[in-house]
Amino acid sequence: MAQPLLEVHDLHTVFATKNGDVKAVDGVSLELNPGETLGIVGESGSGKSVTALSVMRLQRPGKIVGGSVIYKGRDLTKATEGEMREIRGQDIAMIFQDPMTSLNPVFRTGWQVAEPVRLHHGLDRAKAMAVAVSMLGRVGIPTPETRARDYPHQFSGGMRQRAMIAMGLTTTPKVLIADEPTTALDVTIQAQILDLLRHVNRDFGTATILITHNLGVVAGMCERVMVMYAGRVVESGPTVDVFAHPKHPYTWSLLRSIPRLDAERHEPLKPIDGLPPDLIDLPSGCAFHPRCQFKVERCSRDTPVLNRVGETQLAACWVTQSGAELKGA
Amino acid sequence: MIDPGQASALELPAPAIEGGSRRPAQSYWNESWERLRANRIGVFCGALILVLALIAIAAPVFSQFVTHFDPARQHLSDNFRSPGHPYLLGTDELGRDTLTRLIYGGRVTLGVAFLTVALSLTLGTTVGLVAGYYGGWPDDILMRVVDVFLAIPAIFLFILMSILFRPNAITLAAIIASVGWGGVARLVRGEVLSVKQRDFILATRSIGARDLRLIFRHLLPNVLPVLIVAASLGVGQIILIEAALDFLGLGIQPPTASWGNMLTNAESYFFHSGWLVVFPGVTIFVTVLASNLFGNAVRDAFDPRLKTH
Amino acid sequence: MPEAVQAQLKRAWTASSPLVTVRGLKTWFPVTSGVLQRTVAHVRAVDGVDLDIKKGETVGLVGESGCGKSTLGRTIIRLLDPTAGTIEYMGEDITHQRGERMRAHRRDMAMIFQDPYASLDPRQTVGDIVGEPLDIHRIAKGKERQDRIYELLRVVGMNPQFADRYPHEFSGGQRQRIGIARALAVGPSFIVCDEPISALDVSIQAQIINLLENLQAKFDLTYLFIAHDLSVVKHIANRVAVMYLGKIVEIAPGGQLYRRPRHPYTGSLLSAIPIPDPLIERNRERVILQGDVASPIDPPSGCRFRTRCPRARPDCAESEPPLETFGDEHLAACFHPLD
Repeated sequence: MAQPLLEVHDLHTVFATKNGDVKAVDGVSLELNPGETLGIVGESGSGKSVTALSVMRLQRPGKIVGGSVIYKGRDLTKATEGEMREIRGQDIAMIFQDPMTSLNPVFRTGWQVAEPVRLHHGLDRAKAMAVAVSMLGRVGIPTPETRARDYPHQFSGGMRQRAMIAMGLTTTPKVLIADEPTTALDVTIQAQILDLLRHVNRDFGTATILITHNLGVVAGMCERVMVMYAGRVVESGPTVDVFAHPKHPYTWSLLRSIPRLDAERHEPLKPIDGLPPDLIDLPSGCAFHPRCQFKVERCSRDTPVLNRVGETQLAACWVTQSGAELKGA
Repeated sequence: MIDPGQASALELPAPAIEGGSRRPAQSYWNESWERLRANRIGVFCGALILVLALIAIAAPVFSQFVTHFDPARQHLSDNFRSPGHPYLLGTDELGRDTLTRLIYGGRVTLGVAFLTVALSLTLGTTVGLVAGYYGGWPDDILMRVVDVFLAIPAIFLFILMSILFRPNAITLAAIIASVGWGGVARLVRGEVLSVKQRDFILATRSIGARDLRLIFRHLLPNVLPVLIVAASLGVGQIILIEAALDFLGLGIQPPTASWGNMLTNAESYFFHSGWLVVFPGVTIFVTVLASNLFGNAVRDAFDPRLKTH
Repeated sequence: MPEAVQAQLKRAWTASSPLVTVRGLKTWFPVTSGVLQRTVAHVRAVDGVDLDIKKGETVGLVGESGCGKSTLGRTIIRLLDPTAGTIEYMGEDITHQRGERMRAHRRDMAMIFQDPYASLDPRQTVGDIVGEPLDIHRIAKGKERQDRIYELLRVVGMNPQFADRYPHEFSGGQRQRIGIARALAVGPSFIVCDEPISALDVSIQAQIINLLENLQAKFDLTYLFIAHDLSVVKHIANRVAVMYLGKIVEIAPGGQLYRRPRHPYTGSLLSAIPIPDPLIERNRERVILQGDVASPIDPPSGCRFRTRCPRARPDCAESEPPLETFGDEHLAACFHPLD
């Protein structure tokens, strides 16, 4: 297999608050291979967004206090701000959740979409605009020449997100990080945007990190998936395997608690008991153990380490690492 | 009707009963207050203003036991004395003790300032609440009235008022408030419009609350922080206006001492008795600076926009 | 006395009639322009809806943003004034009721809101929030009030000790429980749930859904459940109504709608929903709609969905399709329905 494009090793990012330090990212490692789509799944507070922002060194006011991010042989956590500016938008592009606020309302859309190529490839205004218009067309915006002259507020949510994707692609980056790109959109528009992302991945060969809380989106878009909880990776592996036989109780319980469109009516849902953890005051040992129905004594003492469980999956769970199967009522 | 007996037979998701932060209960007011207390400059300035106000209130006590002078008493033979003993800050052209006059003057200036703030807050808040909550015709009419008052050139009004009658502290406060309440009304109305949109107002209406309840129990407490900030920042400004009016002869007239009109007299004697200008001037400067700094501290502590969830 | 009138009407109304009857309901919002604020157009948020809700059932209302589902919910509960049409509650016409009579009805109808962070007054304690309905309707005072508040908190799964705390100290799911406790305070029969779980974490959503179902069984509640997530609605609702641009385009019993949708919009909505199963997702046939939702200010002529409909034909532009019956309680408004 080819060398991974992006590697993250034991990353730690911390936010200082008046009540204590929030360990937003607490020892996260991942690998992204060329051309693949990796999903990072988790709920609010799981650290998935902060992980992506830390890769881009956009995590302020948080601080990266440990670990490394290796891209093209360089550790990005140690790069200078100038070096990061070169990489952002050119090698690694990012699109955000809320298209309403991620585009500047006082500049024309085309101008903004053209900005990365102007900055990184030094194109003059006319050439940069031509690139922008062509990309707007490729992402499915009709009559892109006229639309490029419109302001963001004249676009609908879905169109704005397409424009953001266009902006990310103009410099043909190697890595695209999409942070909840469809969460703020209607479900039929979401389908359009996800379809677009699939085409982009195919036609441009861009490796994509897709961050979402929606397990259905991950199932349809990502070859590999990483599940995060309380700032740590609890499970990772090929999507098909993780969904078919999850090896971490959190993943397992989550899959069972979601109402499914293809389910027969009407079995009561099996929710995960308890509440998400307080990131300032994490439980001892495994962060999930207070809510876990499989826990044993060791779980409250020792923090589990991510290890191989089964043929293709990694899971951070003492119970499954010792060979037990997850089965339940 | 919920029957308590029936309800206890419910199967409750047990772990959900626990939870919530382990830190002690803290209302928004407590948190704001603590933030304010943590701001040392703010606390210092607030204490300073408080001390000045207390001295002003206790002016007769001070004049009796500390300075031993009456503010109006003239010692013509002792005029233009430099600071020293027994006139701690010197005397003016009529031999009146500067320190005592400053203390009594503080009564006037601070008294007018606080009264003005109280008047413009009361009127402005009432108008802003009604206009913001009801909207429609009441809003249109009230806001046009506010526009009229805001459009009146203040100096013009002050000159007119002082020609028509000799302002005393109360009427002066009313005059200055009449120019300022419009800004408060606009501010409150804006805040009401924004709070009104929030779901909890709709929720309270859905359980059957009447207008008055919504306005006083729900809108007002949520609008209060903005008001507190505006009041704190406004005091300094009003002190300056008041002093300026007195200085120009449009406000409190001599022989009643006020910081502003002490400057009027001192103007003519600046070159040989400079301290007559320095002391009232520095007092005004320090008071206004302290109240502005305190106002900033209050704004940092109470402004909900700075709060992170 | 309003109480006596109410009692009389309750006797006239029988349990077999629908609890809520809506006919021809329209809620339009004026769009003003210019210095004089003249009304130049209307946002036709709800543009002609007929709906019956039977006692004890859960009717799901789904649709995307701009379809009018929230507006419909709020109009039925009279938080908004209808522009046209009628709303009947237990046989009584409440379309234009105001004042004390409407307040009396508010004891029987309640609403749960979407945003747990905005639906609770941040300056009130949890106990005061839950107890406010008791105060407004003068139901209980002193110790009795305290007891009721504690009981309500217990019923929704919250520790009654939390009554002295403030909303910002709690998580989204807990705040939603507080909102539910407030809605239950005076013992309503009908609750409009306006996207009650959309703003919650996935692992908490199931807790709240189960709570709502338990409460419905114990207190014989009737729900109008508004959501954009069809998977959730399928689970909780007896019948599901699909809205588009202010009108109900299809309504059917739960399973029916999903097994055999008739309206093309329902079909594309169903195919757009991601299913957490990679094998199913990879092999799904997707109907991806073109374009964006049309504007509720100036809806397309004839069938409103025709501008995005993959099955549109010329006659779709000429007249609006009426709701037609396609089987047991299954209605759809389409000239060329799906098979």
